[in-house]
Order: sequence, then structure tokens, then C-alpha cells
Amino acid sequence: MSTILTHIAISDGKIKRSSLEVLSHCTQLANDNGHQSEAVIIDANASQYVDDVKKYGVSKVYVIEDPIFKNHINTPLLKALTTVMEQADPYIFAFASTEGTKDILGALAANQDAAVLSDVSEFNLIDGGISAKRPVMAAKILSSNEAKADKILVSVRSGSYELAENETDGEVVNIDFSFNESELKATLREVIGASGDKIDLSEAEAIVAAGRGAKDEEGQKLINELAETLGAAIGASRALTEAGIMDPSLQIGQTGKVVSPQLYIAVGISGAIQHVAGMTNSKVIVAINKDPDAPIFDVADYGIVGDLYKVLPPFIEELKKIKG
Amino acid sequence: MKFYVCIKQVPDVNAPIQIKGEELIQDTNRMILNAYDASAVEEALVLTEKHGGEVEVVLIGPDKAKETIRKALAMGAQKATHIQTSGDENYDSSTYASILASFFKDKEYDVISCGKQSQDTDAGLTGSMLAELLNLPYATNAVGLEIEDNQLVVKRQGDTGQEMIALPSPCLVTCSNDMNEPRIPSLKGIMQSKRKPMEAVELSSLDVEEDNLAAKTTVTGYQEKPEREAGKKFEGEPDDIAAEVAQLLDTEANVI
Ligand SMILES: Cc1cc2nc3c(=O)[nH]c(=O)nc-3n(C[C@H](O)[C@H](O)[C@H](O)COP(=O)(O)OP(=O)(O)OC[C@H]3O[C@@H](n4cnc5c(N)ncnc54)[C@H](O)[C@@H]3O)c2cc1C
Ligand SMILES: Nc1ncnc2c1ncn2[C@@H]1O[C@H](COP(=O)(O)O)[C@@H](O)[C@H]1O
Repeated sequence: MSTILTHIAISDGKIKRSSLEVLSHCTQLANDNGHQSEAVIIDANASQYVDDVKKYGVSKVYVIEDPIFKNHINTPLLKALTTVMEQADPYIFAFASTEGTKDILGALAANQDAAVLSDVSEFNLIDGGISAKRPVMAAKILSSNEAKADKILVSVRSGSYELAENETDGEVVNIDFSFNESELKATLREVIGASGDKIDLSEAEAIVAAGRGAKDEEGQKLINELAETLGAAIGASRALTEAGIMDPSLQIGQTGKVVSPQLYIAVGISGAIQHVAGMTNSKVIVAINKDPDAPIFDVADYGIVGDLYKVLPPFIEELKKIKG
Repeated sequence: MKFYVCIKQVPDVNAPIQIKGEELIQDTNRMILNAYDASAVEEALVLTEKHGGEVEVVLIGPDKAKETIRKALAMGAQKATHIQTSGDENYDSSTYASILASFFKDKEYDVISCGKQSQDTDAGLTGSMLAELLNLPYATNAVGLEIEDNQLVVKRQGDTGQEMIALPSPCLVTCSNDMNEPRIPSLKGIMQSKRKPMEAVELSSLDVEEDNLAAKTTVTGYQEKPEREAGKKFEGEPDDIAAEVAQLLDTEANVI
């Protein structure tokens, strides 16, 4: 019997849904293969999330609580992760593919001499390791991969698995942790523009994404109104984040975030492969573009050919009526 | 400051891609400098133009990757090292990181810059692996770099906001293409690149442990991603089609 360990990411005082998706899958794998599913929470207030994690069929929850984890800093996080790996001795250690994970995954693999597959869209156990699918070539192609080693790290794209609750009375293990300021190799000076009350794009149920076509003030106003009407998060193409019109954390695509909402509305976005790479997992895609040949229409379920300044006002009006 | 920028030659994701059986046939006539590495080169050039210093690029790859090295030299890098491989090895990020770690062992530098990921595989692992192997302070996914009092100040894109991190030298940073617009080499740059030093290093001379040259991960095949079907396209009077689609989102797609 081996351990499949899942890292639980906390962001803005909440468990990231994508971590629970990964945990749900890991518990399933553990149950199907006679292994045990365990989880680790590393945060300034880690213990307050334990009860929620226990709902997902874990036999143990490791808790590392320290004020140093208030913000993401790689050195202490790496130390905490290596500490928990020594204690839990996981065969598989799975993560949600957040920016926080991307920052440390390679370093942790090098430190632990582990095999690693990042940003997979599915993975399963095979003899001696795991098999996994990864989107490559700007997500035009799926590659099949195998990792075989005594220890394997894997990070999973958000939206790859469904949540599956499965309450057990898992044991809680508090791990002693101390971190000396002098161990900090780098200094975090400040955190700028953390979204706070905004909806997290990677977990949003509905997203309105704006592109170059909606770059002026009037366009932005319409985007905001549409998002507000739907209770949707706002995202952007690179054209707008690059121009400084939208916050860089809102970029969706190969460089930006991968999203998987129920509804994705692309407004004035051409549909370059690097943008599409981040949004094709959306359930329903609506595109509004004045160019009937724009590639975004190839992936859209509902394509509205027209000038967004003329289309959005009646569209918003009608949605308001439906919402009542 | 002395910058080493690790650059990789990758297939252009915009080129036509074919899968034959489970093999990926890449159009080798369209091999390019990884876009994220181009941004890393650009930023190193900007910083050394402003604060003084030197930019050297390092590439692991086969002979045909020389054109990618030339591109970085034409952009303005002063020197290059080409760590030569046959190109048919089965290397993954950890193999490249191990080779680079052996190369850097006895080098002096202030900053090693990498791309935040390879444009073709999106692995995003090599940079932080290399930092760990060399025991360097590091930051990934940089969207801005400054030099202040001999420290590298990195603005990195985190999950929600941007984190400002000061790294003492020597350090490692991985760069996003959101950092800048890489310059297009000028004709003069291209001419000069031909006379710039490009040192060839045999892989065997780097003493990488045999174990570390064996990749722990393998690609077993490729498949076309199941394409989304294009749905309905609505053309006509904006008022009408907007209302129609809004209705369908409610009654047909059930997403309102
Ligand atoms: C390595 C790499 C990574 C990248 N990563 C990303 C990424 O993560 N995310 C991303 O988005 N891009 C990314 N890009 C950039 C990408 O290739 C495109 O350049 C970008 O997505 C274009 O943004 P856009 O569609 O808003 O702009 P454009 O391509 O300029 O398209 C604007 C569209 O708006 C339409 N339009 C204009 N006016 C109107 C109007 N009044 N009404 C309706 N429609 C209108 C036009 O018909 C056009 O189709 C990356 C590129 C590279 C090389
Ligand atoms: N063959 C190589 N030669 C030089 N640098 C490389 C090579 N492969 C990867 N790198 C560096 O690692 C980054 C990509 O890491 P990864 O996404 O893990 O492949 C690139 O942007 C380069 O900076």
C-alpha cells in the first residue's frame, strides 16, 4: 500500500477548487488500487481548512501552519513540501496547476530526485508509475506520457476532474515547522493588485473575455456591464493585457490562465491558437466578432457576426430580461 | 552584470502539424527561438545596455539549432555556447536541467535567465530545477525586471497579483513573454552575429552523471486533440441576433 498525496492550495482565504478536483481523483485512484489518499495543507491558517478537506476521502491530513505562508514565497514553501515528503513518503504527490505550483514543481522534483509531469489533463496509475495526457503545441495536440520512478510529482489543469465528496474520519497530523528569516534567499517586497473580492478566473462559472476589438472605454464599459449582468468574471486576450488596458492576471491562454467555465463569451477576440489554448475546455463558447472568418468561430457554439458596439447593448438587455 | 540566457530551439506551433500513427511530424523548416527565451534575451539586453554587463546565450541541441543561436546573437547577445547533442535523444526538462547544471558549475555570473516554459511542450520545469541544482535563489514567471543596488528585482505574475521579489546575485529568473516585445534583428546585427564567438562544447566533456541523462518521463504517443465542432453562426440585424442568442443560452444551452 502506497500513499497518494495531494497538495491543497489556498488562495484568498479559500481552498482552490482545482485542488479538490485533484484530491477527488487521487482518492478514487487510491480506492481503486489499494493505496491511501492523503492531503497536505500549507498555509498561515492551515488548520481552518482541515474539515473541508476531510470530506474528500483522505486517511490523513498533514497540516503545516506558519505565518510565513501568508504570501507565496518559494523558499519556505519548498522547505515545507520537502518536510512533508520526508514524513509522508508519498509514491505520487499531486498538485493543482496554479502559478504557485508552477513556481516550485521543478525545484521540488530536483530536490527529491522525483519524476515530474506538469500541467496534465488526466493521469492514471500504471505498473511502476503513472501515465498522463498533456496538451502540447499550444494545446492543438495531446501527448501521452509515462513517468516511472520511486517518487512522482504531477500537476493537473483546473477543470480536469469533477468534485467527488466521500467523507471519512481522516487523521490530522500537525507537522512542526519553523522558518528562519535568514533562510530566505530572496525578499518579497510587496504584492501588487491581488484581486481580493474579484472572482478567480480559474474557478469561474462564467467568463466574459475582452480582446482588441473592445479596447476603448466604451468597449470596456460594455464588457463590465455584460459581466455584471451574468455575475461573470472578466478575462482578456493578450492584446489587452499587453497594452496595459487589462490587468495581466486576467490573461487567458498559453501564457495566461487555463479556464474551464460553463459559459465563455469572447468579445472582439480573433481566436489565435495561443488564446484558444486556454479556453477550449469551456462548456459553452459564445463569440462576438465582426469578421465572419475569425478563427474564434471555429470553436464557438454560438457565433455572433457583428460589431460588438451594436450587438452588446441588445444582448445585455435581453439577458437582463431573462435574469428578471 | 553578467547574464547567461538559456535558449531552446522549438518547432513553431503555428506550422502545420501532422500526426502519422502516433508520431508527431514536425515541420523542421520552421524551427524557431522559443518565444519566452526571446523575451529573456531581450530583457537581458535592455538591462545590460542600461547598467553595463554582458549577455551570453547557452543552447543544448543538434547542429541545426545553430541558426537559433545566431538569431540571439543577431539580437545583440555578445557570445554563445552550443552544447552539442545529436538531437534524437529522449530528453525531458530534468535532463536539460542536469546538463545545464554541469555547464554552470564552474562559471561566474550574476543572473541565469530561462524562459518560463517551452512553447511546444509547456512543461515549465527546467528553470526552477536548474535553480535547485545550483542552489540559487530564483523567481519564475517574471513579467518585469530591474537592477537595483546589484540586486535583481523581479515582478512575477502570481495567481492573483504580482509579487515584487528582490534576488541577490547570483540568481536565476524565468521570463514570461509578457515582459517585452523582443527586437527584430537588424541587418547590421545579422552581419555582426556571424563574427561573434560561438563556443562548441561536447556533452561528454560536461561529466553529467549517466543517471541524470536518462529521462524519468517518456512521451509514448501523440493524438490530435478532439476538435470542438463549430456551432451556429448568426448573421443579420444586431438587435435580432443578439436577442436570439441570449434566448438560446437560456433555453437551449441552459447556462444563464
Ligand atoms: C508564445 C506566445 C504566447 C501567447 N500567449 C497568449 C495568451 O496566453 N493569451 C492570449 O490571448 N494571447 C496570447 N498570445 C498572443 C496571440 O497570438 C494573439 O496575438 C492574441 O491572442 C490576439 O489578441 P486579440 O484576439 O484580442 O487581438 P486581435 O488578434 O487583434 O483580434 C481582434 C479581433 O477583434 C475583432 N474586432 C475588432 N473590432 C471589432 C468590433 N467593433 N466588433 C467586433 N469585433 C471586432 C477583429 O475582427 C479581430 O478578430 C501569445 C503569443 C505567443 C507567441
Ligand atoms: N535544450 C535547451 N537548451 C538551453 N536551454 C533550455 C533547453 N531546454 C530548456 N531550456 C530552458 O528551459 C526553459 C524551458 O523549460 P521547460 O518548459 O521545462 O522545457 C527554456 O525557456 C530554456 O530557458
